[in-house]
Formats: sequence, structure tokens, C-alpha cells
Amino acid sequence: MKLLCALALWVATLALAPLLEAQDAPSKAPSPPTGVQASDVPNDSGHAIEIRWKDSPDPSVLSYEVFRSPVPEETAPGTEEASWLSLGSVGPGEESWTFSSAERGVRYSFKVVATTADSSASSEIVTGESRAQWFDRDKLWILIIGGTICFFVVLFIQLASRGRKLFVRKIAGLEAVDEAVGRATEMGRPVVFVPGIMDMDNVQTLAGLTLLGYVSRTIAEYDAKLDVPVSRSLVMTTGREVVRQAYLEAGRPESYNEDMVHYLTDEQFGYVAGVNGMLLRDEPATCLYMGAFFAESLLLAETGNRIGAIQIAGTAMPSQLPFFVAACDYTLMGEELFAASAYLSGDPKQLGSLKGQDVGKLIVMGAILLGSLTATLALWTGSGSLQSVVDFLKLEMFV
Amino acid sequence: MTPLDDIRVILATDCGSTTTKAILIQKVGDEYRQTHRGEAPTTVEAPFEDVTLGVLNAVTELGELSGRKLLDAEGRIIRPTRGEEGCDLYISTSSAGGGLQMMVAGVVRSMTAESAERAALGAGSIVMDVIALNDRRLPHQRIERIRQLRPDMILIAGEVDGARTDKVIKITETIGAADPKPRLGAGYRLPVIYAGNRSRRDEVTRVLGEKTSLSIVDNLRPTLEEEVLLPARERIHDLFLEHVMQQAPGYAKLMEWVDADIQPTPAAVGAILKRVATEAGINAVGVDIGGATTDVFSVFGEDFNRTVSANLGMSYSISNVLAEAGLANVMRWIPFTMEERDLRNRIKNKMIRPTTIPQTAEELVFEQAVAREALRLAFLQHRSFATRLKGVQQQRTIADSFEQDAGIESLVKMVDLDLLVASGGVLSHAPRAEQTAMMLIDSFLPEGITRLAKDSIFMMPHLGVLSQVHARAATEVFEKDCLVVLGTCIAPRGTARPGRPALAYRLELPGGEERRETLQVGEMRRHPLETGTEARVHLDPARDFDLGSGKGVPLEVTVQGGTVGLIVDCRGRPLSLSSDPAERTGALKTWIEEIGVYSPEAIPH
Repeated sequence: MKLLCALALWVATLALAPLLEAQDAPSKAPSPPTGVQASDVPNDSGHAIEIRWKDSPDPSVLSYEVFRSPVPEETAPGTEEASWLSLGSVGPGEESWTFSSAERGVRYSFKVVATTADSSASSEIVTGESRAQWFDRDKLWILIIGGTICFFVVLFIQLASRGRKLFVRKIAGLEAVDEAVGRATEMGRPVVFVPGIMDMDNVQTLAGLTLLGYVSRTIAEYDAKLDVPVSRSLVMTTGREVVRQAYLEAGRPESYNEDMVHYLTDEQFGYVAGVNGMLLRDEPATCLYMGAFFAESLLLAETGNRIGAIQIAGTAMPSQLPFFVAACDYTLMGEELFAASAYLSGDPKQLGSLKGQDVGKLIVMGAILLGSLTATLALWTGSGSLQSVVDFLKLEMFV
Repeated sequence: MTPLDDIRVILATDCGSTTTKAILIQKVGDEYRQTHRGEAPTTVEAPFEDVTLGVLNAVTELGELSGRKLLDAEGRIIRPTRGEEGCDLYISTSSAGGGLQMMVAGVVRSMTAESAERAALGAGSIVMDVIALNDRRLPHQRIERIRQLRPDMILIAGEVDGARTDKVIKITETIGAADPKPRLGAGYRLPVIYAGNRSRRDEVTRVLGEKTSLSIVDNLRPTLEEEVLLPARERIHDLFLEHVMQQAPGYAKLMEWVDADIQPTPAAVGAILKRVATEAGINAVGVDIGGATTDVFSVFGEDFNRTVSANLGMSYSISNVLAEAGLANVMRWIPFTMEERDLRNRIKNKMIRPTTIPQTAEELVFEQAVAREALRLAFLQHRSFATRLKGVQQQRTIADSFEQDAGIESLVKMVDLDLLVASGGVLSHAPRAEQTAMMLIDSFLPEGITRLAKDSIFMMPHLGVLSQVHARAATEVFEKDCLVVLGTCIAPRGTARPGRPALAYRLELPGGEERRETLQVGEMRRHPLETGTEARVHLDPARDFDLGSGKGVPLEVTVQGGTVGLIVDCRGRPLSLSSDPAERTGALKTWIEEIGVYSPEAIPH
């Protein structure tokens, strides 16, 4: 047993001998990284400098630490020469570092220090400066697509201005407004318009009020009665102005009455209870719901349906659309609500914008279709060229 | 009046604006047949100012042609039949002096005013103007218009029963303020019919009772969901006889002669078409194209509609056809080039010389091209008028999310049309029956399987009145003598690129002959099939084409022959002609040659 222990000690001594010798020997500095360059990061606003170097051939290098010179503000008062500031370190094999908080137009000095376990070696000192660029060339495709859409918007506006008829699909709900108001006129009953329950900061409320203008102009022409209960004070004020203007345009300012647009309450279900009470008492011939709606949509529309009113609804709330479709005569769905003002006014600018946006949607739909098909085919066939198209669409075109 | 079963000879007249037409219907064997026809100029205007003179002249001619003495020594119609003398029944229609000219009023143009218009048109009147609260006219403009037009009668509708509003009173007050005077007769008050809100009758009487001859009938729209036209139509008819006819020169005498009430000509045409369609259980469309106006009638199920296109006609209104349709649309039917100046000259000549008829083949082609456009526009107007009632609550389900329509779909569905009847000079008197058939097909664009016919000698008005008195005689004469069956048109609905297959079919002709054909898009084919014969056709439309059973669904039908036969039209629906002149004229010439519309030498190269 003793013999075995002595043998093991001898073998261990032999194995560790070189290591122990090296520790005892004086440390040797590694080769520093070479070819250090500091250059401005392109396509940015001028706050980044990229430092690149070539890996040290010395295998003992454990990391590279990047240093920069301080700007005058960072120099402590009284000191003539500021010390280097570390930006961070990276492991061996990595050959770049981005200094992303540089001040635009300031020339910095950089050095890269290769560090081993017990020594280090600094590279030569290089200088670099960050500059801002006017264009981000990485986003070239966005520019092209955006430019194309803008081109079509301008083109369609020009065409519409010159009298070219731009086709806009018929929106049944808007075509039916005359019929709905006519019904109220023949029956001698009011038209109720509900502009949603949200405030003026909601785009659907704005769209609803645009439609209120059109509806009240028709009502003024037919000399029918209008009733607009609202749940927000600002909507009431705006609504009154819209209706007043419509009556003025229709040549019936004397028929306008401020109480046509009146406030009920801000409370969601209190408002619904109020409107439903009105519907049941006055039995309007026509109800229009245009704006943002939540749980009250079906409560309102179902009550209107029960009293036999023609109902036209419009909202961009996807969750409420099924209720309106089921309970109303006509429903403006999603974007139809926003397209309505262009549709109704026939204004060349609005029509042109609408058509231009349609071209944009067409481009996006085409790209989605192309991407889906190409990705499927690439997966199916394993084709590298198809995969490169997919990568282009994913990484270049829309990112 | 002679008992119906004993009626053997029937005399019928139609007093038109320019001509009074008389026909003689006799019982031949066991059936009634139209045997003779005579005509004479109408004598309503000065210097005669007595409609009966024209009637007597026409009847005299008829007597000479038939060899039957119809008038006695004192110029009265001999009744009843005595051997070879006289007739058992005398009836008449009238459109002389412009026919019955009405003005209608309602609260909303597309609702009660439209119902009033429908009632007036259905009663055979010409609607001169429609007044409504939303017609964008100021009250003084409406008053001026009423005074200017001087209608024979005014029909007022408005509001549903029990409506809590004063809109109909506003309309009534406008009419009251205008203090309208009738067109004929200075000493009597204008007939006004009120067919509006029941609860406003007293106020309407207060406003109009003393100024006009006011009649009150049931509301045309008691609710917006229903339309009750009959009471108003009957009252229009009564007032037409009581007031309007009494004032027209000689009509009081004519009314004593007739055995049934005189009817306005269009009302009689509508009546016979409705009766025939109802009895046969078919959907029918009739058209009467005149010099100044074009009437279109349609019977689809229970719905009867009539429209008068007052500005579309072949002589007085021919310029308006060109203005409304546009030169390019007229020119597209002409298979050769024509100078625009030449074309305009021809149109103006026709307008100032309305009775001229084409003297050359070129003129004929040109006139028929204009007729196509006049018919097309009149039918478009008719289709847009014949729609469901407006202002009715719709019931929807979630499945309708993307299929909401604005209620403008016409009741006249071409694929459901069974019979298309043509009448009026340019259609009835076309030199070839093929021309009538092609004009009908090109302008009405029938879809599926449609029978084509024409009124041989414009007998429909006479038969319309006769149908009210002796339905059997009217139906028999209509089927045997009035209608000249042109044949059947088979036209699949749908479009595809020219040259692609559209329809394959197998035709089993009488006598056992069988023909198989496959037509391509843009092709037409004519198969002669004699009048009175039938053929069985097995139709197999291509994927994009529909014959009424669905796209690409085969169909087997029996078709009837006629003077033209069977026409298979695979030009596609909607029809689009090439914008390239050479291509278009090439296609027109091919169709003309295939159907035999004009003789080849008639078409200039």
C-alpha cells in the first residue's frame, strides 16, 4: 500500500512539473490586436462608431477590452491628461465593438487591449468620429413602397380633380340613408342618431360625426325630426356645430334646434338605459349607430329592431359587428366607416387618398401572398434560391 | 248588350293621336279570329274636333274591306248582328289628344310619390311631373310648374295612415295655392284624387274641396310595408271617363256608342299582357315604341309595372335618343362606317318629318340602330322603376354580412323572363322578322330561355278592353292573330374571352333530325323552326355560363318555333362589343349573316 502511494506521488510530481515551472517563470505579454480601425456607423443619426480589429494570433488571449479617450467634459478639473475609459470587453474571436453613445462630430481615440491571464497588450491608438447621414439606406424599400403609395395618392387626387370618375364600391348602408330618412318623414317619427359612447379623441367618434353631418343634411332637406343623444360633453358641443352647419347648408337654418343634440350621461349603461327609454317612448322610424360601441351595441340595436325601425350601424369594433349585422338593416363594417366621408363628399382629395391607400393595401397583400407561397415552396422543395427570396422579403423589404 | 255566348262579331277601335284603327273580330267555326282591319286619320283636332268622325271613317273602311255593313244610314253602328250586317259588341280605347295626362304628388319621391306614379302609370296615364317634398324645388317653383303643365288630373299621396306630421298638408297647400286648371274644358274643376294619410282627409278637403273636384280614396301606402294601388287606379279610370273624356271633342258621343268603358290605350295594353301572363303562369315584358314615347310593361309574378319613357321615341323624340344614348352607342350597332354629320342630318330629318320611312338599306340599318338604343334606355328606366317598395325594414342574419344590397335590385329579372312582346312601328313593321328579333335581343338582352313575339297590327289595345268584357275572345285572338311568334332565344348569362367554348347543345327537331353544336363565346346560331312546332334542346353551358339553373348546370327544355326559329346567342351577358371598329363591324356582319337580318348586298363594305 505504501509503495502504491509513493508511486502515485511520483507520477503527479512528474505531470505538474512543467506547470509549476511556468508559474515560476516571468510573464510574457501577448501579441496585441492588429489592424484596428474606428469608423462611423452608416445610416444612423450620428451617435455610433464601430471599432474593428484583427484577432491576436496569441492563443492565450482571454478577452479584448476596448477603451476610448474621454471628451473634455469628462476630464476631471486640474488633471492635464485624462485616463482612458473602458467601453467593455469581448471574448477572443470577436473582432468589433460598437460605441453607440458617441457625440456627433467629436473625434475620439480608441485602443483595444488584449488580455491574458496575467498580462495585457494594447493596440495602436486610432481615432474615429461619428457623423449623421440624411438617409438610412437600409430602409430603401420602405422609401420605395411609401413613395409608390404617395405617387398613387397624388395621381388619383389629380385624376379626381380633373373630373375622372374614380370607382368606389357602393356602401349599401350609406345608400340606404335616404330611404331611412324618407321612412321617418312618411311616418312622422324622429330619426335617432347615436355617435357611439367614446369621446372626441376616438377616431370612430370623429367618423360618426362626419356621417352625422350628412344624415342631418338629408333630414333637413326632408324636414324630418332629428334626435342625437350623446354620452360626452365634447361630443355634444361638436355634434351641435355639425348639425347646425348641415341645416345651414340645406337652406333650413330656421329648422335647427340646439336640443336636437343633447347630453344624457357619461355612464355606459346609464346612457344605454336612457337611449332605450327614448326608443321605446318615441318609437323613431330610423335609428343610426355610428361610432365606437362596446357591450351596449346589442342592447341598443335589439330595442330598435323591436320597435320596427330601419337601423343603420357602423363601427370598427370587430367584437360588436356581428350584433349589429344581425339586428340592423345595414351595417358599415370597419374601414367602411372611415371611407364613408370620402364616399359621401366625392371630394377629390379624399377620394384620391382612399384610392391611393387601396394601392398600398394591394401591394402589402401581394407581398404577403408572394411570401406565403414562396416560403411554402421553399420548405417543400428545399430550394436555396427560393429561401433567399423569402429572406429578402423578411429581412430586406419589410424590416 | 248581346249575351256573351251569342256574340259572333266584335268591332273594336283605338283612337290614337294620328290614326284611328278599327278591327273586326268574328267567330269562325268555334273560335274567335281577327278578320279585317281598317284605319283613318283621327279627327280630334281642328277643323273636325269630333273623334267620332275618324271612328266612322275607319269603320267604313273596315266595312268595305270585310263586305259587312257596319253602319246604318244615319251613321250609327248597327247592333246586334243581323245576318251580314252589324256587330254584337263595340269597344274602344283612346290615346287621342295626348291621352290621359296626370301630375302626381307625394311626400318622399321614392316612397309615396313613387307609389302615386305607379298608380297613375298603371291606369294608363302619362305622368307629366312628380312633386315631392324632397324634389329640391322651392314652393313657388312647384306652383309655377303645376300652372304651366295643366294636367288632366292630379293624384296626391303621402304619409302612412295615422302619421303624426303635416307633410301631406304642405303638398296639398302647394297644389291649392297653384289653383290648377284642367287642360281641356274651361268650365269645370280639375279632378284631384287624394290617396294619402287617412287622418288628414278633413284638412285636405278644407284646402282643396272648393278649388278642385276632390275625390278621396284609400291610402296608397297605409303602411310603408304595403302598397294598395287598386282603389286609386279605379278612381282614375272613373274620373277619366266622367271628366276628361267628357271634355274631349266628340268623346261624349263615343262613350254612348261603346258597350264597355273607353280605356286609355296603355291601360288596355297592360291589361291584356297581364291577363295573358297570369293565365299562362309566365313572366312577360311588353314594349310599345312610338314616335314620341316608349311604353314598357312587365308582369313578374304578382307584380305588374308600366313605365312611359316620354322622351324616347322614333320620330318626335329621336334627337333625344341620340342625346341620351350618345353617338358612340348608336354607332356601335351599325356594321359600316358612317359620317357623323350624315348621321345627325338623318336624325334631324326624321324629327321634322316624322312620318317618313327608310328608303334605303342604309337608312333602315341606321333607324334600327337608334331603335335599339331607345329600347335599351326605356328598358333601363323600367328596370330601375320596377323595384321593391322603399322604406321597408329589412330582416337580416349574420350570413348577410357581406351581401347587403341597397334595395335597388329590379323585380324584372331577365333570366326569369318567359315572353318578350314587341309592338310599335319600327318593331312591328320591320321588313324582316329577323330584324325585329335582333332588335329585341340586342336591346333587352334576354337571358336563359325567352320566347320572342310581336304584335302583328297593334291589336293589343283593342284586346285589352275586350278582355274586360269577353276574356275568351280576347285570349283566343291574342294567341292566334295578335301575336306573331318570332321564335325562342337561348342566351347563357356570363362572360369569357372570345373563342372559348360557351355552350354545347343537342337539338332534337321535329321529324327526328338531331343536331349537335358547340358554340364559342361571341358566336350566334339560328336554327329554322316553323311556327307551331316544338323542339327539344339539351343544353350544356360552359363553367362560366348560366342558363338559369346555375353556372355550368345542364338543362333540358322544349322550345317553340316561330317565323325566325331558334336563336342561340353566345355573345355573353352583359354584352360587350369590341372597341376596335374593324373588329366590331366584323362581328356585327357575322351575326347579321348568321341570323339573316339583312341581305348581304344591303350592307355596304
